Amino acid sequence: MAAAAPPALPTKLKGVQPLRTGEGHSFLWRRLHSLSGIIPIGAFLVEHIVSNFETWNGPLAYAQQVKFLNSLPLVRILEWAFIFIPLAFHALYGVWIAFRGRASVNVYPWAGNWGYVMQRVTGIIALLYIGYHVWTQRFSGVSLPENPAYAFHKVQVELSNPWILAVYVIAMIATCWHFAYGIWLFAAKWGITPGNEARKKFGYVCAAGGTALCFLGLIAIYSVVWKYPNAPIPSMAPQPAGITEPAPVVVTPGTTNPSQPGQVQ
Amino acid sequence: MAAVAKTIKVEIKRQSSPDAKAVTESFEIPYRPNMNITSLLGEIALNPKTITGADTTPITYDSNCLEEICGSCAMLINGKAMMACSALVDKLLGAHEHGQQPDLAKTITLAPLSKFPVVRDLAVDRSVLFENLKAVKAWVPIDGTYDLGAGPKQHPQIQEQRYPLSNCISCTICMEVCPQFNDATGFVGAATIAQAKLFNMDPAGSVLKEERLRALAGDGGIQECGFAQNCVQACPKGLPLTEAISDMGRDVFVQQVKDFFTR
Ligand code: SF4
Ligand code: FES
Repeated sequence: MAAAAPPALPTKLKGVQPLRTGEGHSFLWRRLHSLSGIIPIGAFLVEHIVSNFETWNGPLAYAQQVKFLNSLPLVRILEWAFIFIPLAFHALYGVWIAFRGRASVNVYPWAGNWGYVMQRVTGIIALLYIGYHVWTQRFSGVSLPENPAYAFHKVQVELSNPWILAVYVIAMIATCWHFAYGIWLFAAKWGITPGNEARKKFGYVCAAGGTALCFLGLIAIYSVVWKYPNAPIPSMAPQPAGITEPAPVVVTPGTTNPSQPGQVQ
Repeated sequence: MAAVAKTIKVEIKRQSSPDAKAVTESFEIPYRPNMNITSLLGEIALNPKTITGADTTPITYDSNCLEEICGSCAMLINGKAMMACSALVDKLLGAHEHGQQPDLAKTITLAPLSKFPVVRDLAVDRSVLFENLKAVKAWVPIDGTYDLGAGPKQHPQIQEQRYPLSNCISCTICMEVCPQFNDATGFVGAATIAQAKLFNMDPAGSVLKEERLRALAGDGGIQECGFAQNCVQACPKGLPLTEAISDMGRDVFVQQVKDFFTR
């Protein structure tokens, strides 16, 4: 007795669709997304945290660092081409990736699965924080590119609110986590670390690097909030005006070595 | 002293046809030691009555080899994707080591794989894997209009690398557990990527290498992998899936760069 007739084979498969050979450009976009997280965004993150570490040396040192960065040639173009545009792409495409995944840590609570979820969670924390941070520190209030002396003060005022301080600390940890795990994922997905051992070892490297970076960032927060309370706005005047040219070398005619005039070798 | 009849409690998510609503039925089956889930389902077929004594139909499920080699019996057992024939009832009830007593108060739940269209009860349609294997030409092209003769020699070193990949039983568990394998991404899944690597490493199959690598760069291809690594954890045959995905990720990328400059 047949309880139900066997269903007729459907022409188009129900459920998850098979591979679309030769269709679309998602491979390119997905690889660009992966790469952009390291270059330029990751590189900028490292630069930013290392620069922030100058707060350890006080408001004047930090102001000098801000001034130096803003005196780079074509700095506004660099800022858009290597920071804002890649960051916007990485963030928006990343959100799209995150919302197409179906997290399953409740059923399969394995380390890699948690890593997958955390990469998405930390990415979204970083996105929300960076949006806020770029708005408050770069595009509103005192404009720091023109007034680098105010840099320390501006951050100090913002971090005087304990809630915002907490947000900064959480975001620092989340961002460094996202970056460190992102490098590990990059190496795994691009076939740099295919072997289990290689992936494990590189995992330690990424964890160490990410932790170090995170500590640097947290130390900068410490400097701003606790090391220099009520920091004054430094006067930039007594600082030497950038690079000074060395005195020109006078070469005696007939000399091959300018440091030993008269000698011919 | 009359022994209390020992029973195993099972809850099964059932569905009478692809479009019917799913319902859950409970069963109580006389306990025997050393049962597996397929033998449990066999017991229900012998006496298809629910826990209340109401008549019902036997459970539909796929199975064939009963030794974890045909790949047909994958289902969700206590919510996790497993092979029914190698899932031992005593173990599922907490008796992990020899001599331990199973906890018969526990209930075993069975449900069809969640990411494949249900045919009936625990039987699902997994043809997407077959389609994917076709898309990457997971075979050695040896058909001709004349005798192609003996195949090329295969070095033992290559054989050793290929053998673990050849153990795939197409059970689709790696796809079921993958967070990226879903309707939104249409991700190809680990099994197909591993098979593409297997046949790319075959001295005769490697003739189709470039086509396989190009296929894997299409939408739903290898790029959708999020490296959650569930596949390698869940695969009943222990395939080195993450290694295969990593290796193929590099090969697909290199092929794309080559194609960009030379095609
Ligand atoms: S790779 Fe493993 S989990 Fe995936 S289909 Fe093959 S045997 Fe099953
Ligand atoms: S019946 Fe063949 S794998 Fe379970």
